[in-house]
Amino acid sequence: MEEEKLKKLFSELAEKTTESARPGLAGDIKGQIPHRLIPHRKGMDTINIIIDLRISKLTAAAAIIITTIFCANFLGGRGSTGGGIFNDGILMMRYFLTGASVGESDLSAAKLKYEQLVSQGREAVYYGEGIDRQDSNSVVLHWKVSEGEYRVMFGDMREKTISSEELIKLQSAMLQKKRK
Amino acid sequence: MAAVELVDIYYERIYLFLRRLGHSRQVSEDLSQESFLQAWRHIGQLRDGAALNSWFYRIAANASKHYWRSRKGKETAGIEGFEGTDGSEGSDDKAAQLEEIDRLEEAVARLPIKQRQVVVLHYMEQLSIAEAAESAGVKEGTFKSRLNRALKALKNEMGS
Repeated sequence: MEEEKLKKLFSELAEKTTESARPGLAGDIKGQIPHRLIPHRKGMDTINIIIDLRISKLTAAAAIIITTIFCANFLGGRGSTGGGIFNDGILMMRYFLTGASVGESDLSAAKLKYEQLVSQGREAVYYGEGIDRQDSNSVVLHWKVSEGEYRVMFGDMREKTISSEELIKLQSAMLQKKRK
Repeated sequence: MAAVELVDIYYERIYLFLRRLGHSRQVSEDLSQESFLQAWRHIGQLRDGAALNSWFYRIAANASKHYWRSRKGKETAGIEGFEGTDGSEGSDDKAAQLEEIDRLEEAVARLPIKQRQVVVLHYMEQLSIAEAAESAGVKEGTFKSRLNRALKALKNEMGS
């Protein structure tokens, strides 16, 4: 067979084998377009970006927490442990990741803070797991701020700066309660 | 160009290409979807906007190749006819011509996958040799020699 005739047959075959795709096919394909290739919608942007970066949830959580702390520190926010972004991040990660109850998480956060303070060479005392967490005046941790002045962390994670006399009173009350 | 627009431009072309390679409607739909998924996955590797056409064909051709490989003869190429291809009407000449086209279709379906691919890309999708070679993922020389082998085989079949 002549090559020209074959080519002509091919173009006729191309015409014969023209068929429309199912109308819903385009929609099915569009439904699978990754978020990063679609103009971002308000609200879901951050989540979509993180999903599309294909990083693990743990890394994404760490990134969000560290960014939050960084912004809070930058804007002069309160609640930072003063141990730097890294240490604050670890603290928050522990809160975030441990499946423990709030109380246990609080205590482990207090312990972590105590370890931090000690590593910074500060005078700090951690009262351990034996404290009465129902009592809002029970002290979990205290550290010296300046001469005659102490920062105290209570069982409910509240912090307060008190004088040495007040600290002695709190310690005495705790001891008496323990004896009972 | 937005991803949605790419789908609108290419989905029918890719579907038809897969059908012409001999896949059934259902498989062609599945492979079209698979091709677009692959395209989104590797869109970062696309350097030249002008090569978009070949790039899409290449992805679809690979999807088809993998499909045939995984099925190894369990599906026959071109088994499912195209819509609106009734050749029963018209003059004797027309009927003879349609018969020839049918014979060509069957002969194309019997070609080895690589040869079928080059024939479909160049003659039916009407891509230039350069574009079709890029779509097939081979050098122009290789593409031409495959095309020549395919044409020779088809001429033999059609001539007999």
